[in-house]
Amino acid sequence: MTAPTPTVGSEQVDTSDAPVIEARDVWKIFGPHPERLLGSDDLDLPRAELHAKTGNTIASRDVSFDVARGEVFVIMGLSGSGKSTLVRCITRLVEPTSGTISMCGQDVLRADARSLRQLRRTKVAMVFQHFGLFPHRTVIDNAAYGLEVQRVPKQTRHERAREILGIVGLAGVESSYPDQLSGGMQQRVGLARALAVDPEVLIFDEAFSALDPLIRREMQDEVARLQARLHKTVVFVTHDLDEALKIGDRIAIMKDGRFVQVGTPAEIVGAPADDYVAEFVRDVPRGKVLTAAFALQPHAGETPESVVNQDARLGELLPVIFGVQGPIGVVGSDDQLVGILDRRMVVHILAGREQHNVPEEPTLEPSTPAAS
Amino acid sequence: MSPPSAASSLASAEAPPPFLIDVGRLGRRLAPLAVGIAICIAGVALSGFHKGFPAKWVLGGGVPNWFDRADSWVQTNQSSNFFLHHIIGGLGSFLNSATNDLVSALHWLTWVGVLILAVLVAWLVGRWKTAIFAALMVSSFGILQIPNGGPNGISDMWQPAMTTLSLMAVAIVISTIIGIPLGVASAVWTPVSKTLRPILDVAQILPAFAYLVPIVVLFSIGNPAGIVATVIYAVPPLVRFTEVGIRTVRRDVIEAGEAFGATRRQILRDIQLPLAAQAIMLGLNQVIMMALSIVVIASLVGAGGLGDPVLQALQTQDLGMGAVAGLLIVFMAMWLDRTSAALGKHATRRVGVGKRLTRPQLAILWGGLLVVVLVAQYGLNLGDWPSGWGFSIVDHVTNGMNWVTNQLTHVSESLSSFLTLHVLNPLQAFLNDFPWWLMAALVGAAAWARGGPRRAILLVGCVALMGLMQAPVGYTFQGVTSYDFSAWGDAMQTLSLVIVALVLDLAVGIPLGIAAYRWRAADAVLRPILDFLQTLPAFVYLIPVVALFGVGNLAGVTASFVYALPAAVRATTLGLRAVQREVIEAGQSFGSTRWQLLLKIELPIARPYITLAVNQTILLVMAEVVVAGLVGAGGLGLDVVTGFSRSEVGLGAAAGLTMVLMGIVLDRLSQTRQTQGGQG
Ligand SMILES: Nc1ncnc2c1ncn2[C@@H]1O[C@H](COP(=O)(O)OP(=O)(O)O)[C@@H](O)[C@H]1O
Ligand SMILES: [Mg+2]
Repeated sequence: MTAPTPTVGSEQVDTSDAPVIEARDVWKIFGPHPERLLGSDDLDLPRAELHAKTGNTIASRDVSFDVARGEVFVIMGLSGSGKSTLVRCITRLVEPTSGTISMCGQDVLRADARSLRQLRRTKVAMVFQHFGLFPHRTVIDNAAYGLEVQRVPKQTRHERAREILGIVGLAGVESSYPDQLSGGMQQRVGLARALAVDPEVLIFDEAFSALDPLIRREMQDEVARLQARLHKTVVFVTHDLDEALKIGDRIAIMKDGRFVQVGTPAEIVGAPADDYVAEFVRDVPRGKVLTAAFALQPHAGETPESVVNQDARLGELLPVIFGVQGPIGVVGSDDQLVGILDRRMVVHILAGREQHNVPEEPTLEPSTPAAS
Repeated sequence: MSPPSAASSLASAEAPPPFLIDVGRLGRRLAPLAVGIAICIAGVALSGFHKGFPAKWVLGGGVPNWFDRADSWVQTNQSSNFFLHHIIGGLGSFLNSATNDLVSALHWLTWVGVLILAVLVAWLVGRWKTAIFAALMVSSFGILQIPNGGPNGISDMWQPAMTTLSLMAVAIVISTIIGIPLGVASAVWTPVSKTLRPILDVAQILPAFAYLVPIVVLFSIGNPAGIVATVIYAVPPLVRFTEVGIRTVRRDVIEAGEAFGATRRQILRDIQLPLAAQAIMLGLNQVIMMALSIVVIASLVGAGGLGDPVLQALQTQDLGMGAVAGLLIVFMAMWLDRTSAALGKHATRRVGVGKRLTRPQLAILWGGLLVVVLVAQYGLNLGDWPSGWGFSIVDHVTNGMNWVTNQLTHVSESLSSFLTLHVLNPLQAFLNDFPWWLMAALVGAAAWARGGPRRAILLVGCVALMGLMQAPVGYTFQGVTSYDFSAWGDAMQTLSLVIVALVLDLAVGIPLGIAAYRWRAADAVLRPILDFLQTLPAFVYLIPVVALFGVGNLAGVTASFVYALPAAVRATTLGLRAVQREVIEAGQSFGSTRWQLLLKIELPIARPYITLAVNQTILLVMAEVVVAGLVGAGGLGLDVVTGFSRSEVGLGAAAGLTMVLMGIVLDRLSQTRQTQGGQG
């Protein structure tokens, strides 16, 4: 990375491959006596019936997932599908009913109040849908809040907050109050507040949903820019598919408290696991998401006139496809030829028809985060 | 079937002749009324056999007797009992000396010092206007004098005003010390909130009259009793405001604090309390207003100050003097209200209001004040307001009131005789003779419909207990034959006054509320009037009303009507304003007329507010009807006043308890499940 980096990034290169977040069999049941419900037959009742019968709502059903270091893991689903509840379980802002969660090797659910607080103070920070800013504090005191609860002296924390505010483009408004700023700027304050504690994990809960489309795109770009520089581990909740596809390294599609599919954007769009997901991704411009791997035909000995990477997006390959006459080879990450690009299939895909290949093994392993 | 005919058949099926629907609906609406009337007729018929409440039913020797015995026990054990002597007595003498110290401190400041201090504080927290207003109000304590045997036959009210100010200050400080921590505790610990809620509920519907007698039993007549009464009256709203202020801090803001690992204490201190500051300051402002609103009542239990002349004036019907002395209390209320409201804004707003002075600047200001005081005190030998500097407007006020009264004689007399002969008296007779058990059954049924079986049981119990508060026939205590106290009859008398005032309030208040919502002009006219009426303490209404109608029930009804009117109007307007713009637009887009909008959309949506309006109006009316005992309105209020004037403790206390029960019944009857506990 060549960009001049201020002292923001957690530059310590931790090479361990262990996931930063490991969640296993997480259940969250709201309402009276949740533990009684676990293992009973009522679990399978439709939500309305269950609620009428026992007063319970199941917000999270047996969810497991890993998030690798530096990965952007998106949880996407309609409103009420349980996204907010799930991410709050990670830091126990909502107490899960059962399951295990570990973060940075620490068992979150067993942690006592003190170490839990320590975890929240140093390891993970959150950006909220309605910003959750403190209306009675200036921008800089908002940004410095995380450090303040850690009892960092005022001077130090203000220095640090000012630096971060500069990075997120808020220099000059330090002594304003949140309600004097526009929505987009307010959420930049929220972002700065989260970054100021230099956490390993950032959680965004529909952080941009309340913003206007243009501002939202601006903030997405901002996050992409920061992520390219800081390599945080990010859990990003959204109900906006475009946002998910744009930001996510991997996406989990959530419905009624369950993950119905987890995969890279290309896998979600190219190989929807069921009708629900298929319906979701129907209108996505495929060329922007699907990669050359989705339009392969077996290699039959011809010499490719040109080669492309299997992870290249089809939409970006058009100049090559129409620029050369002969066969176009597709190579894997190790530069080995894996097949020949099927031009007819590319046209079908770009035309939005359903015909294409599905790569043999959908890579359920987290794909490597985008390098800068 | 061809489409057009289908459509027309549909239309005819959907739209039967309109009067059919109306009859059906009307029938359903009127059914309860019909049943009610039937029961009432039955009641009248039965009253030949079961008139009111049986006089023989007395709780063990009579409730008044319990209080009388308690009182005499307190009298004999005052100095020997640890609790009475050290705790109660200690508290009493502390309150006394705190008040006296403050009075002498104000005296030491001299009138110049007090005036400058008031102006300075107002200026610091507010604008120039606040400061000038403070100056005017404080000067009025000296300038507006009353005939009271002073040098020129008049004397200024400076000293009583300073006494009232000191009493208020002590009461307010104590209320704050009790109220804010309790509010914080109940916001933080749900069990505390759950324990306090029923107590606060009852405390808020209690007319101050209800607990005066027990306070006097414990503290005897004097300043401490006045302070304690004030504190009991003023603390509940402060607790509520504080709790609600903390609890309504947005959940996501608190969650943000939690997410960054803040401890509960950090969240409370750095997030919840600062964000609740505005609500707490509002609560404090409320405390001040409530404290001033019972100045006269406090005088009834022996607190000195401005309340005394008002009380005397009410008793001797020297209404001009009462009006002027009452005016001074209103002035003090307005002064403290403006200053404390400005202080609230100053403390919670970041920009714009009040001054932010640097420390040296402040030091200069306070130092300057000190110098002025020292010069005034020791150089010029100033003290309280120079009594020559003022005049009496009492005669003019009396003349003016007489003139107005004379002009209105025809109206007021015919109104008076109509209301008395054709409304109040028949209603009173009817309620008085109505069998108590039928009343209990009616209350129980209504309570069941509104709040389920538990409420029904509670209220039936309260109704029965109301009757049981009475003294045995020919009750005597320590050789003194008591005033004849029939709790049930007096409660019914109070109830009749409440009903008449309530009906008048709703009949006038709701249309006015609709008008204020509908027409900007109506709002513009009503708003300042309502603002003004709402800052007036309860007893102030008594003065003009007595001038018009003389002492008695009608004065009580009228005062209560006026006293509660602002609340009825305000809540109606508020409810209508809360209807979402979009819903109204939807109605308009279907071509509704204004009336259709009002009847079919706005009023039904505003109904919860209107229910709340009814509830608040009832409570206010009851509070004022009781206070009107001071001007001879009959019923429980008069019992308390009589109890005081004849030192019949048992009677006054039992009447107070009856009020409590009646307040609970009226409050719970007028609350639906949803609105219960929802008022703040
Ligand atoms: N504190 C709570 N008590 C009861 N039910 C809740 C609570 N929080 C969320 N729920 C329910 O859990 C489900 C998931 O909610 P949430 O996690 O907020 O969904 P999302 O963030 O995807 O919109 C919803 O049905 C919601 O009503
Ligand atoms: Mg959510």
